Amino acid sequence: MNSKAYRLVILSLYVAMALILSYIESLIPVPLPIPGAKIGLPNIITLVSLLTLGWPLTLLVVIARIFLAGFLFGGGFSIVYSLGGGLLSLLVMSLLLHLFKDKISIILISVFGAISHNLGQVIVAAIVVQTTSLLLYFLFLMLLAIPTGLFIGITARELMRLLSKTTIFAKLNLPQKK
Amino acid sequence: MKKNEIIIIIGLLAVCLVSIAAFYLISSTDEPLSVRVSRQGEVIAIFPLSEDHTETVTDALGSNTLEISSGSAKIVEADCPDHICVKTYPISSPGETIVCLPHKLVVEVITGES
Repeated sequence: MNSKAYRLVILSLYVAMALILSYIESLIPVPLPIPGAKIGLPNIITLVSLLTLGWPLTLLVVIARIFLAGFLFGGGFSIVYSLGGGLLSLLVMSLLLHLFKDKISIILISVFGAISHNLGQVIVAAIVVQTTSLLLYFLFLMLLAIPTGLFIGITARELMRLLSKTTIFAKLNLPQKK
Repeated sequence: MKKNEIIIIIGLLAVCLVSIAAFYLISSTDEPLSVRVSRQGEVIAIFPLSEDHTETVTDALGSNTLEISSGSAKIVEADCPDHICVKTYPISSPGETIVCLPHKLVVEVITGES
């Protein structure tokens, strides 16, 4: 199998897994009356994809997941929300990975990703309703994003550790990061 | 994860908690509070938070029913698809907001009389 087709298979797997995690997440009720608070399960896949495929292909994974999940389980507005969060989060995580490479752990990247995801969501909401008074709301979201980001980061790190023992990524010919 | 990363995370948590505390401390006031309802930046109505009141705000996008009772405001009913505004906690301190994204509606607590 050539590496281009192999990469496409991995890419499709990521989208499928992220979509299922989005669905599982939509089934878990958040016991907090703060709208927009989520665990961020699909971010596990975003992180793994970012580390194995690099940001351009991860951008595809994120956009495909958001649109598919939005049409399948969410309303039209959840797409706008998620796009703002997902894209800003990916931008921040890619930049951190690019700037600090081996000096930064997946867990810290995940925490910053979670915070920027909420920031993106709040910015989109602020633009849609044209208000500037969402600062307090963002602070509450950020407070929640830190533990969820930690949890997602630890999960992604363990997943990477297990996956790197397999030969799944051997044919990708991409630089590996531990 | 290294030690300095744990410090960064604890630092972020601390910044967050301190900001929230500061927000409530700065905005706490003895002045009467009001509830401002606005759509796309335009103020539709202002109600005093001290009086119990129920109001339905309707426009082409849909309607939201706002209920003010015992010093806190809450959206009790809405015909938007996600019902996020209904699930939001009741607001009672200045700066707290309820947002209905599909209807582009913002309900916020402000300082001062209506």
